[in-house]
Amino acid sequence: MSRTLMRVVMMSVFLFVVGGLGPVDVLDAKPNNKRPPQVLPSGFESTDSLLRDVERAEKGPLHSAWIVESSRFMGVPFGAFMPDKAGLNTTVDLPVNVGIIEDPDGNLTLYDSGWKQLAYIFDWNTSCCWKGIRDQMTAIGLDPEKVTRIVLGHAHWDHSGQLSEFPDAVAYIQKEELKQIDFFLNYPVDFNAGHIRAVNTVDPITGAQVGPPQQACARTPVCGYPPQTVQEILGKVLGGKARIIDGRHEINRGLVIHPAFRGHTYGSQLLQVNTRRGQLVFGSDTYSSWTGIRDWLVANIQQTDTVQQFLAYEKCYVLASRLNSFNNCVAAHEPTSYTPDYPLTSNWWTIPGGNCSRAAELILAPGKTTHVPSPPPRTPPATCVSTVPPHTISP
Amino acid sequence: MSEWRVRLTPRIIVVSIAGLIVLGVLTLAGSRALTTTPAPATASAKPATRPERPPVSAAEEAYVRAMWPIHGDVQRDLMRASLGQILYKTDDLTRAELQARMERALATYRSAETRIRALQPPESMRKDHEEYLAAVRLFQESAVEANKMFKDGKEDHLLAAYPKSQEGSDKIREVGGKFWPNEFPPN
Repeated sequence: MSRTLMRVVMMSVFLFVVGGLGPVDVLDAKPNNKRPPQVLPSGFESTDSLLRDVERAEKGPLHSAWIVESSRFMGVPFGAFMPDKAGLNTTVDLPVNVGIIEDPDGNLTLYDSGWKQLAYIFDWNTSCCWKGIRDQMTAIGLDPEKVTRIVLGHAHWDHSGQLSEFPDAVAYIQKEELKQIDFFLNYPVDFNAGHIRAVNTVDPITGAQVGPPQQACARTPVCGYPPQTVQEILGKVLGGKARIIDGRHEINRGLVIHPAFRGHTYGSQLLQVNTRRGQLVFGSDTYSSWTGIRDWLVANIQQTDTVQQFLAYEKCYVLASRLNSFNNCVAAHEPTSYTPDYPLTSNWWTIPGGNCSRAAELILAPGKTTHVPSPPPRTPPATCVSTVPPHTISP
Repeated sequence: MSEWRVRLTPRIIVVSIAGLIVLGVLTLAGSRALTTTPAPATASAKPATRPERPPVSAAEEAYVRAMWPIHGDVQRDLMRASLGQILYKTDDLTRAELQARMERALATYRSAETRIRALQPPESMRKDHEEYLAAVRLFQESAVEANKMFKDGKEDHLLAAYPKSQEGSDKIREVGGKFWPNEFPPN
């Protein structure tokens, strides 16, 4: 009897051990290609590790930084941009800002690369002010030939569009950004009438979003990645000019990429830059709105996990905690850009020959000369008339 | 009391010790699992003046609607092929998996050419129709070149294949901007 009991107990213990240890691997969520996106890496970084990055960066070189306005979305309903402000029932004009960072050797790093698809400026009749980024840089006294790196905050068409203008620059992109496109390209649309689609998201004639629900493109995880953009990234990879990275990555001391997974898209990433005014943190569409970061409101959340966006805001608060705090967060679509209301961008000027686009000098490294003309030419946007640049599509 | 004397045999003591050890192991495992965290792994401006897009005729609408699903198929497999090559380069995709993608893409491009040729474009869209066909042929040529890699093992074929797929993707973006101007809304 006791021998039988012993066997039963030992077997139970064995099964318990085997079964009990099993979930550990599940919780570990080891990387593989088969996981659904719901368990992709979260990009968490502890406050301590972020502060260590601040300490390390502060021992590194000081950078200069500018933003230029690649183009401008006009008359966007405020509620579509910032849901908490939907009740205002107004519209806003949204710049598409690209960051330019200069290191002590004079090499330039772009954060995002702006629009390329000119058809949109022509055919989407509320856009404005596009100018090729190389021309913009030249016009503000920066040499586009000095661009050695492009950090893609995310790969939507309006932020990664001019990669091919810099064939020798190394592009930095998160692997998660690529894997999510790949995953959703294969997502079935037959059983759910197409809630989630990567292609064919609009009515081909009216341009209305197909559904359900309405605004399917805005509600589907990977609308916004044309083959052209993916091709340009492929060109970088095949040419040995790409760094496909996975989470945090230090490019140089004082220049650190931080993951912001699902802060706007699956593989969004931030760029920490050591400057004389502390750590600047560029955020692309994860930081669509600076006032949103300041007032703790989500923005541009069509493909966003709002918790992750707040966590990404918090990363800026931590990285910039020693100097200037949220004032050092650099937003891509902040409506008050190039005004005193967004102090970081208040030293702005209209780019000469820039089709009404604007630039702002964020900070200079010691000993560097300002690029802002004196006095700065400032054409009020309301009186500046932009033109359609030449492009191949006729009406 | 006598019950206790009966149960406290050496075997039971051994089992109890084993149980305690197992409990310890489980506690450690659970602790490890629970503490495992993922590694760090306005203003306003006047928009440019531009002519209104002329309304499409019935023939144009029929043509553009017929092209739409073909365009979707081409884009989907083009991006799968492009991402496949990237993920192959990052060791996230095997050569066999890439080969399957590239062969499927080639089949899609060939099918797309057949389907597009079967359409009768209105005269106003004939030029763009031809442009789209040219793009699809570029994709085919690019895929054929890339697929040579699976025969001779030389990855240089991917690089040689790239310019044609890039040119083709530029073309369908341009033509797509005319046929479907709202395909990619602001993001």
